[in-house]
Amino acid sequence: MSAQAAARAPRLATAAGRSVRRTKPAPTLKPLPRDEKGVPIPHVNVIVRDTHRSRLADHYFHTLQDDMMYMTYVHEPTARQPPRPARLAYNPKDPYTKHRFNPPLGGNRWPKQPPPPSAPDNIIQLERIQIHAMIKTATASRVNLLGPIMALRAISGANEGAGGQHTAEGIELVKGRKNLQGWVRPGIPVGVKVDLRGPQMYDFLSVLVEFVLPRLREFQGIVMEGPSNRLDKMSSASGVVSFGLPPAALGLFPQIEVNFDAYPATFGMHIHCMTNAKGVGAQNRARALLSGFQIPFARS
Amino acid sequence: MLSRNVAAVCRQRTRACLHAPSRSLTSVAADAPAASSSTSPTASAPNVVLNAAVILNRSPILTRTPTLFERAYYAYQSRIRRAIFNPFPTEFYFKTGSLLERKFAREERLREREAFGGPWSLKRRKPAAATMDEDGVPLASGDQADNMGEEPVEPPAPRIHESDKTGDVKSLDRKGERNLYLLVRGKDHTGKQVWRFPQGALQEGEQLHKAALRDLEAECGINMDAWVVGKKPIAVHQPSLPESTKKTLGGELYTFFLKAHILAGQVRPDGKNVTDFAWLTKEEIEPRVEKDYWASVEGILSDF
Repeated sequence: MSAQAAARAPRLATAAGRSVRRTKPAPTLKPLPRDEKGVPIPHVNVIVRDTHRSRLADHYFHTLQDDMMYMTYVHEPTARQPPRPARLAYNPKDPYTKHRFNPPLGGNRWPKQPPPPSAPDNIIQLERIQIHAMIKTATASRVNLLGPIMALRAISGANEGAGGQHTAEGIELVKGRKNLQGWVRPGIPVGVKVDLRGPQMYDFLSVLVEFVLPRLREFQGIVMEGPSNRLDKMSSASGVVSFGLPPAALGLFPQIEVNFDAYPATFGMHIHCMTNAKGVGAQNRARALLSGFQIPFARS
Repeated sequence: MLSRNVAAVCRQRTRACLHAPSRSLTSVAADAPAASSSTSPTASAPNVVLNAAVILNRSPILTRTPTLFERAYYAYQSRIRRAIFNPFPTEFYFKTGSLLERKFAREERLREREAFGGPWSLKRRKPAAATMDEDGVPLASGDQADNMGEEPVEPPAPRIHESDKTGDVKSLDRKGERNLYLLVRGKDHTGKQVWRFPQGALQEGEQLHKAALRDLEAECGINMDAWVVGKKPIAVHQPSLPESTKKTLGGELYTFFLKAHILAGQVRPDGKNVTDFAWLTKEEIEPRVEKDYWASVEGILSDF
């Protein structure tokens, strides 16, 4: 008995606190595999989520969302009528006209669609911001893209697969699609772009509104079209607000300002703010939303 | 989001909040002549008195204080981010061996320690703790040499204002994290002194949103910049009146509420119609106003 106890005692001592089953020793843990730098690779996919409260997102959810609901509300007490057909068509159910050819309607019809009925579910919301820069000198040498890539990384904080999220695409190269003599050929890189969503998008927007736009010289606001502009054009009905920044604006981003000399050349950029608004007049609703984030607009 | 705003409330009871009031508004117009004909069949004009009231809102000026759970969550995610992210390209931002680089490296070591802790001990424990505030943002130290000749950064204003300590309900700086609404003490339709939103009667042929702004100026003074959100009312209140009051008023009374934001200035009550005012949160409004009034406005006030 004592001999058995003596034989068991050391095993219990080693496995103390590790195994709940006394009859079986605790499994030996294999050490984590290590990468080439000697850093252990965890056996789960580590994903970084939000690391702070987003101030502008809070502003949207506490103030702006309610205001946009009130401002974009359209009173429709009765159900909507089905849209009027664009032209008369042969009824395929009528045996007399059953096999007659109904030519399909041509052209893009989606900008002509009315916006969906007002509901608390489809209040306008900012979905993503795309920053896009075309670098003309990149056609001569693609090395010229390295500076813009570095600058966009500094401005946006985006990186490919950042935070373990496979949807983070980081800075992408824009490649030429057409063959324009002496300028662009299909497949050659001509620019860079980055898509921002979530807190990153709101951080970029707040930097733009608080640091860049107020210090931009001779900037009166983003110019809108006049009242004669049709509201069912593609640009007016897709809920996207686009504007450009001159090359001088690059040095006004605080992330670039600290070591502005490290970047070889300045460049201008296009910024597309995409919302979930759709239908006739969606761009105007998107502008109302953006002016709630204090982006200035000016009448032409 | 944890926030409960009006849109969230509407989402829970879509028909009750957006469609039913709108239907009741249409029925107001439809019922008005019928009601008038039943009470006084000889009168030609519809017996309806319309009021426009303004729900003047001061939106939050501070981000909401994160809960204990949120703070722990954000700290955890920040640690993961710090652990797995690419190393900072020091040579891109600092000249090698410069004073600035050494300062950055020192602060970075402190931040690492703040995030992950460590068995080693720093010699100056107390000052190290003092250079960081609770969010891990390095504060300015008084040492001029430490700041590379730059002026020390001013510490941010405290999140709790003086008026929160003194209980001053007239200050616009109180409760920075919350939505505040303007409540005034004045006469209602019966001539009784009550707490209500600023309101006034519509003039002949006047639009609702213009009347709202005019009535706000009449009751609260012109030393204020207000912006009315949209042209549509967001709520309606119909007090149940006895027949005698209806006769003196001239018909059924409907008060339409429009939302507005205060942009600058402060209320200055005239002392005749309005004797007092207060900037209050939703739960502070409830005990002050009457029950049926509260039932009409409860859904359009923000919980945060």
